[in-house]
Amino acid sequence: MIDDTAAGAAVRSGAAALSAPRWALAGLTALVMGVWPLVYPHSFALHIGTLVLLYCIGAASLHLVARMGHISLAHAAFMGIGGYTSVLLVMRLGWPFALSLPAAAGAAALLGLAIGPVLLRLSGKYFVLVTFLFGEIVRMVFSEWRDLTGGSNGIFNIPRPYPLFESPVAYYYLALGAMALCVGLCLRLVRSEIGRTMDALREGEQLTECSGVPVLRIKVTVFVIACAMVGIQGALQSHFVHFISPESFNIFESLNFVVMNVIGGLTNLLGPLLGALFLVLLPELLRDYVNLQRVIYGIILVVVMAFLPGGLVELGRRLRAGGARLLGRGEG
Amino acid sequence: MGALLQVEALSKTFGAVAAVNNLSFQIEPGEVVGIIGPNGAGKTTAVNLISGVLRPSQGRVRFGGEDVTGLRPDRLVRRGLVRTFQATTVYATRTVRENVRRGSFRKRYPGFLHALLETPKQRAWRAESEQHVDRILSWFGLSGHQDTQAAALPYGFQKTLGMAIALAAEPKLILLDEPAAGLSAEEADHVRDTIVRIRESGVTVVVIDHNMRFISNLCDRIVVMHHGEELAAGTPREVLTDPRVIEAYLGKRHVAAQIG
Repeated sequence: MIDDTAAGAAVRSGAAALSAPRWALAGLTALVMGVWPLVYPHSFALHIGTLVLLYCIGAASLHLVARMGHISLAHAAFMGIGGYTSVLLVMRLGWPFALSLPAAAGAAALLGLAIGPVLLRLSGKYFVLVTFLFGEIVRMVFSEWRDLTGGSNGIFNIPRPYPLFESPVAYYYLALGAMALCVGLCLRLVRSEIGRTMDALREGEQLTECSGVPVLRIKVTVFVIACAMVGIQGALQSHFVHFISPESFNIFESLNFVVMNVIGGLTNLLGPLLGALFLVLLPELLRDYVNLQRVIYGIILVVVMAFLPGGLVELGRRLRAGGARLLGRGEG
Repeated sequence: MGALLQVEALSKTFGAVAAVNNLSFQIEPGEVVGIIGPNGAGKTTAVNLISGVLRPSQGRVRFGGEDVTGLRPDRLVRRGLVRTFQATTVYATRTVRENVRRGSFRKRYPGFLHALLETPKQRAWRAESEQHVDRILSWFGLSGHQDTQAAALPYGFQKTLGMAIALAAEPKLILLDEPAAGLSAEEADHVRDTIVRIRESGVTVVVIDHNMRFISNLCDRIVVMHHGEELAAGTPREVLTDPRVIEAYLGKRHVAAQIG
């Protein structure tokens, strides 16, 4: 009897294993992501592929914050902190990238820890507004602290971490490894008791706190982890594109992360990954229509949000449901 | 044995308005005490102050002899003081079982790293807490509905589920904010029976309501609040016959008619 309960509990708690078709799909995706650069090492495709992977880190980390019911417009600021920290440590102090990368994550996490306990007491529009203002303040510091950051002109000729990573293929695999680690951590978080608690406090923060959950502590811890992750993206991206400037971390970049989550779907970690893929690829696909790019971009966003309010993740669900209906009719 | 809960000269002002003013009372272990008063008397504010949802402007709250004034709700839950809410507060889109599971957070969360790394300790805690959830569901007669979405439950069951979530935290004292509000007479009777059983299980109960009949049939003692202050306190009989209480509830004309 007890064993039954425990087993049932494991299933009900969401710790159940993925179904076989999903494992197969996940395995196939991992295989394709791992193998295609060897089969088709086209530099432009590798560049876009690497950017998609890096944005997956930022979008997935924002998913953690969104999962707790907060829409942060300061995410790009933490990305910038990570980027500038790594670049300055490498270029000014000669640190190896192996140390500057964790330092970048640490700096973004520290700032998150400093401001999180204040920010995360706010809710709804107040949180959005204050994160927007905070993001702008950080961007202005990047702009005005010219001696350190190069001001609005930014910093050029940022070296790749090691000679090995001069190769686009190698950098792609570096980004793939970082993405796998970060998204893996996000997945672990949302599937654990912490994820269950994050969902609970999004659905009823006061009720959750009155059930004994140290809400602020859990929110700050998750927020700090999210900041560290997007700091890693900032560092990897700056060394990848050889350039960093305050405008890389403005409000539009923060909005980009939010839109990736909304377009992909806010309720599932797959959502921000699909959103990152979609939003990084879209401008490239619209490259031939430069004048109309923003209009087309806007229309696509409106259409996706109007017809798929649950995001692109919902498309998969609808297709599966439609397929099942068709099969049912066929059998009938 | 000393008082389990002591409220000492508690006050809360919002601008110029004193929602609670110099409120004092104490609750002994094992009692069922009612806090009543007309709408706007400050009952819910008092509960918010005691349960840590609001910080008092003045005064102290002691629980189990310790000063717990201004502690956050989660810390009070850890000490054994739990509350429910006036509006039906359940996780509407989740199953009944998941709701109770969330109430038993303290039994299933050994710490952030344990949870993140899914350590053997985390697994053991979770397995044990699932049995605890089974017991709570069975105790409240909700086992048959454990896979039902909370929003799909009848209103009376949602109220019961709210109490089950609170009881899942294994409190020493539970503050029930208007547990019978909006219920039919039959549902209110069911809630009252449940409260009696909670008390019999060893949990001290404080019930906040404005329904005099519901409270007087249930409580050992009653504290009456009016305009944020204590108007009267005593046994249900003493309180029900107190002219000040009758006046506050029914108006001066009613008192004059009764006396005349």
